[in-house]
Amino acid sequence: MRAFESIEELGQALADQRYLVDDELATVVFLALRLRKPLLVEGEPGVGKTELAKALAAASEAPLLRLQCYEGIDVAHALYDWDYPRQLLHLRAGGSSPLYSEQFLLRRPLLEALSHRGCVLLIDELDRADDEFEAFLLEFLSDFQVTIPEVGTVGGGEPPAVIVTSNRTRELHDALKRRCMYHWIEHPDLAREVAIAQARLPEVPLPLVRQVCAFVQELRWLDLHRVPGVGETLDWTRSLAELGGGEVEPDTAGRTLGSLLKGRDDLERVRGGELASLVERARERGREVA
Amino acid sequence: MGARSPEPSAADDAVLESVVRFGRALRDVGLAASVDRELTFCRALAEVDVRCREQVGAAARASFVSDPGELTAFEVVFARFWEGASLSLEAVAEHGETDPRMPGPQHGGESLPQFRRELTASRMLGAGETRASREIPSRPGEELGRGERRGVLAAWSPVEVETDRERLALAREEVAAVRRLAEELRAAAPQRSSRRLKPSRGGGRLDLRRTLRNSLATDGEAMRPVYATPSRRPRRLLFLCDVSGSMERYSRALLASLQASVAAGIRAEAFVFATRLTRVTGPLAGHDVAGALERARGLVADWSGGTRIGAALADFNARYACLGLARGAVVIVVSDGWDRGDPAVLERELERLRRQCRRLAWLNPRPGELRGQPLATGMRVALRHVDDFVPGHDPRAAGDLARLIRGLGAGRPRRRQRAVASEAR
Repeated sequence: MRAFESIEELGQALADQRYLVDDELATVVFLALRLRKPLLVEGEPGVGKTELAKALAAASEAPLLRLQCYEGIDVAHALYDWDYPRQLLHLRAGGSSPLYSEQFLLRRPLLEALSHRGCVLLIDELDRADDEFEAFLLEFLSDFQVTIPEVGTVGGGEPPAVIVTSNRTRELHDALKRRCMYHWIEHPDLAREVAIAQARLPEVPLPLVRQVCAFVQELRWLDLHRVPGVGETLDWTRSLAELGGGEVEPDTAGRTLGSLLKGRDDLERVRGGELASLVERARERGREVA
Repeated sequence: MGARSPEPSAADDAVLESVVRFGRALRDVGLAASVDRELTFCRALAEVDVRCREQVGAAARASFVSDPGELTAFEVVFARFWEGASLSLEAVAEHGETDPRMPGPQHGGESLPQFRRELTASRMLGAGETRASREIPSRPGEELGRGERRGVLAAWSPVEVETDRERLALAREEVAAVRRLAEELRAAAPQRSSRRLKPSRGGGRLDLRRTLRNSLATDGEAMRPVYATPSRRPRRLLFLCDVSGSMERYSRALLASLQASVAAGIRAEAFVFATRLTRVTGPLAGHDVAGALERARGLVADWSGGTRIGAALADFNARYACLGLARGAVVIVVSDGWDRGDPAVLERELERLRRQCRRLAWLNPRPGELRGQPLATGMRVALRHVDDFVPGHDPRAAGDLARLIRGLGAGRPRRRQRAVASEAR
C-alpha cells in the first residue's frame, strides 16, 4: 500500500483517480491513514461517500474490500464461515484432515482485510446493519484482529485503511463514533461540481457541463423532496450529451429530467412552470463561471 | 492497531494544555469531547501543519465532531480556540451563547430560563437536596408560587398538575407509571420478521452449520438435521406528537408516554412539533425519566407555539422519511388537528407519509366534551388520509396507549387502491 507523505500528495493522487477532494477532506483522510483510525463518512445520498473508498484504493494501489451492510448481516457473512458442503464431501470421501482448518475456511471481507498486507476496507451503509453487528464491529475496529477458535488469531499486522459510510437512517453508537475520525460531506459548490463533472466526463463539452451544474445548483435551492446529488448530476450530463446539443434546452431538459429527479412530485414541480426560468438562470450562471 | 504511539513530540506542554482547555470548552457546549478524542486530536496535530487554520480545523472537526448538528457549536468554540481567546466558562457565557448551568448546545434568543432550573426534575423524583435546590435560593416547596406560571410553563409545571381537573398522580407515582407503561409497551409492540435466523424445530431452512456440528457425534453422518427460521423483531413505532398551544394540557403526559416508548427498547422514534419538527428520541432515551423529560423539553423551542401540522410533516418527510425511517413503521400522529397551516400541504404530506409507512394512525386527544361540534380543519383533512382514527384518546390514560398499540397491530390495513394525488385537486 502506498504511503502518502503529505496532504497535497494524497489530494493529487485522489485527483489522478478523478476524485476531487477539498482541503478539509484531504486532511481528514490523510489523518485517518496516518493515525490508523477508521474514517466515518456521512452525507446526503449521492455525494460520493462510497466513491471515496474506491478512489482511495486505486490511489494507494491497494485492493478494495467491500462489505455491504444489510439488516441481519452477521459474523458468518462478514468475517468467516466454514465451507459445509466441502466438509461433508470430505467426510464422505473418508478424508482424515481436520474439519475445522484453513482448508475449509471461507474468508469473508473482514477476515480478508486482516490477511492482506495493506488494503482499503469499505464498510458501506453501516446504519443498515443492526445493533448486534455494530457491537461486533466495535471490537474489530479497535483491535484489528480476530480470534477464530479453531484456527487461532488472525491480524496484528498492518491494519487496513477503513472507511465506514452511513446514511444516518439511525444514529450509530457513540462507542463506534469515538473510535473513528468523522467527516460530513456536503454537496459541492458550483465551481467544485464543475471540476468534478469535468474530471469524470472529459468527453463532454465544458459549456454544457457548466450549465448542467448551474442548473443542479439552482435545483438544490428549491424545496424538493429529494435533492439530486453529484451522482445524478453526472447521469444527467451524460443523458444530455447523448442527445447532442451543446446547451441545456428547456425541451430536452424537461424530457431527461428523470435522470436527475426521482419522484413524481418533484418532477411535476420543476416541469410545471419553473423549468424555463431555471434553464435561463442556469445558462446565465454557466456563462458567469466561464 | 499495534502499540499506541507515544505522546506526540510536537505537542509540547503549551499545546497539550490548550487542547485540554479546548476539549473542556467543547464539553461545555455539549459535544462529547472525551479524553480519547483529545488524544486523537493531539496525535492528529503532530501530523498536520499547526500554523494552518484549515488543517488544524479539519483535524479538530474529525476528532471531536460526530454529527453534522454539532458543527455550529463546534465552529464557535474553534474560532475562539484559534484566536487564542480565553476558553474559560465565563468568557463563553459572556458571549451570550451559553448558560454554563445547562448542558447541551443552546440557541440565543430562545431561552426559557425557568426550564433551565432542574427544579422539575428534582421534584418529580422527590429528591431532597439537589444541585438545583442549592442553586435556587428557596427550597422547592416555596418555589411553587401560584399564579406566577403562565403560558409556556403552565403546561409543564407541577402547579398546573394540581389545578388540572383530571389530576395527574403525584410525581413519584408518575415516574412509576411511565415505567409501567414501558413494560406494557414492550409486550404490546408490533413485530415483523427479521432476516436474522433462529433455530427452529423443523420447518424453515436447513441450518448446515449446526447440522454438521451435530454430525461430529455420529461420525460425520448427518443424522439429525437442524432447521432455522427467521426471528421476530419489533417493528418500528414512530410517534409524531403535536405540542402546540391547543394541545397544552396533554403535552406533558404525551412527552412522558413518548419517554416510556423510547425507553422500552422497542425501536420507537419520537418527534414533537408545533411550528417545526424536533426529534426527541435521543434525549428521551435512558432510565432517568425525569432527566430525560427535562432534556427533551429543553430542546423544543416552539413548545406551546402555533400549529403548522402540514409543514411539520413536510419537514419530517424531507429530513427523515427519505432516509427510510418511516419504511415499514407503524406511525402514530397525535394531534387535535387545529392547524393554522395550508390544508393542501397537510393533505399532500400525509399521503406521502402513508405511502411509506405500514400503518398510519391518528390519535385525537380532545375528549368527548367536544363531540357534536365540527372537527378542526386539519382533522377533517386528515380523516381521509389515515388508516386509523382514534378520537378522544387521552394520553394521560397511560395504560390505554399500550392497549391501543396492540389493537393497531402490525398488519397492513386495507387501503384504497387509487392514486390519491389526482383526487386531491
